Amino acid sequence: MKFSQNGLYIESYNKCTNCGSLIYDNSAKDKQQEVVQDGKHFCSQWCVDWKARRDLRRAAPVQAIE
Amino acid sequence: MDFVTMNILESTMVSICREMGIVLMKTSYSTIFNEALDFTCGIADMNGDMIAVADYCPAQIGGMPLLVQSCLKEISVSEMEDGDIIVHNDPYRGGLHTPEHTFFKPIFVDNEIMGFAVAIGHIAEVGGTAPGGFCGEATEIFHEGLRIPPVKIKKRGQDNVEVWKLLLANVRTPRANYGDLRALIAAVDLGEKQMIGVYKKYGKHKVKETVNDLLLYSERRMRAELEAIPDGIYSFADYVESDGIVADRTYTIAVEVHKTGGNIVVDYTGSSPQAAGPINATLGVSTSAAYNAVLHMTDPSIPRNSGCFRPIRVVAPPGTIVNVDFPAPEVGGNTETHPRMVGSILGAMSKAVPNRVMAAEGATHCNFVFGGVDALSGEYFACYDLEGVGWGGRAFADGNDAVDSINGNCRITPTEVYETRFPWRIESLAFNVDSGGAGQYRGGLGYSKQMLCLNEEITCSQMTDRHLFAPWGLEGGGEGGLGATLVMKNGGTQWQTMREAYGKTSTSRFSNITIRKGDRVRLVTPGGGGYGDPADRTQEALATDVREGYVSPEAAKKLYGSPEA
Repeated sequence: MKFSQNGLYIESYNKCTNCGSLIYDNSAKDKQQEVVQDGKHFCSQWCVDWKARRDLRRAAPVQAIE
Repeated sequence: MDFVTMNILESTMVSICREMGIVLMKTSYSTIFNEALDFTCGIADMNGDMIAVADYCPAQIGGMPLLVQSCLKEISVSEMEDGDIIVHNDPYRGGLHTPEHTFFKPIFVDNEIMGFAVAIGHIAEVGGTAPGGFCGEATEIFHEGLRIPPVKIKKRGQDNVEVWKLLLANVRTPRANYGDLRALIAAVDLGEKQMIGVYKKYGKHKVKETVNDLLLYSERRMRAELEAIPDGIYSFADYVESDGIVADRTYTIAVEVHKTGGNIVVDYTGSSPQAAGPINATLGVSTSAAYNAVLHMTDPSIPRNSGCFRPIRVVAPPGTIVNVDFPAPEVGGNTETHPRMVGSILGAMSKAVPNRVMAAEGATHCNFVFGGVDALSGEYFACYDLEGVGWGGRAFADGNDAVDSINGNCRITPTEVYETRFPWRIESLAFNVDSGGAGQYRGGLGYSKQMLCLNEEITCSQMTDRHLFAPWGLEGGGEGGLGATLVMKNGGTQWQTMREAYGKTSTSRFSNITIRKGDRVRLVTPGGGGYGDPADRTQEALATDVREGYVSPEAAKKLYGSPEA
């Protein structure tokens, strides 16, 4: 989430492509854990890996328990 | 771990949270607080983790950690002073929906912040297009009411007058809102005071250490519960019937639950893109729904705190009905979409732990809201109120009858209070026969509430569900009954839907229709789905159902195969 320069309003909401959590521009922790891959923002490596596994599984579906 | 001190401390803190709730109930102005108890009180540590909470509203309990932590990212601990109180309701920054206001107050002990007293409450009137806060045809956040970023409503114990003026200038009922906001402040004041006593009694170090142990204990117990569930990927999908804007379109809530050892990931990927109308849920709601579902499936004696949430991970893709992007509307997400998400998770897990879930419940709070000018006092009134639904049958018992939906745990406002506070006469309030889905264990019953308008005009809106898709049964159980909202104009003889009477796109989501003196409204709430083969229901139970009027003799024969009932 990016604040305006004067800090009085929000300029943009930046969310993790996978889990949807907000990535705060003003948070050192968020920026340290953030991963940018193919132009997409992820809050952590876990989300990068999870999305990749899910995409693989859904492209070649394993029998899910229905 | 010092289990003795941990148990005493945990019980003490939960008791403090209950006291906070009683203060809120007793001092608030609106029936949504003093009758329905649509609030939650808790204690958080200085990182925003929830360390204790009373047994109030599951939606708010699950939402509390993200709410507080989101605020701390904007107003850091170093910017807080003794006597500050922060308020916010922004759904796009960890919030649940615009009516839900979070208050939290830092607890200072010897000039050190030890944690926060937290109170979350549903404010009945928040401005916006519709009185009562639920604009069923909203297409953007600006239609839904005043959005409050994290701000200090009190600074160093003094009212921040400019904030108060802004809050009260933008609502239809400033007097009632003032009273309700004061009640929320009183709750956190009490929480702070009582927790300071705890810190002084036990010492800061001991409390910190014991709280860390408590969170770890909750985490371990939750992991042990999860390990008992078979590993696997369990999927389910459910459908929301309308967004109030686009006719004849449904929205999918898709869920995959990944259970691995002591961990669980709830992945909503595959859910529909966000809707034009206000059925979208925020990330706070999706997270809270996942927590809610897991808590319902696991040991209820596990202390409720952020520790028991640690094994649960939530994936809610942005720009979908389960994680709305600004500025799309969201007010219905917390009340209508949350219970559908919980139901989807329980539906998925029915394949793994069929004895720990239930068939679908009514999954709506009905949300018939209204406002107008009182003929006697000339003052504007506004009401947010909720109704009960039938819950789903379970592997061991019938569903609950006429209880608030799974994310609420709220009470239904008594008829006598409703009639005293608002210009309606409740002409009837009765269970709907046969609304509980047939099953070995019957679904719970919904009910009908018929109201006569006594005011010259009342402006009404609604945000509900289950008019088209009935609550599903499990293990061969039947569907629960549908809900409905009907109006009979003064002098008329026919009940009509809102679509028929007012030309609205949806029968279950609409805003600002005018009900006039002598008009009648009938709210019909859905029943719960049944569990198990109806043929397996005992004759004794069926006979009781028929005798009490829960099941008609005709349904007993047709659905349960009873030769005589």
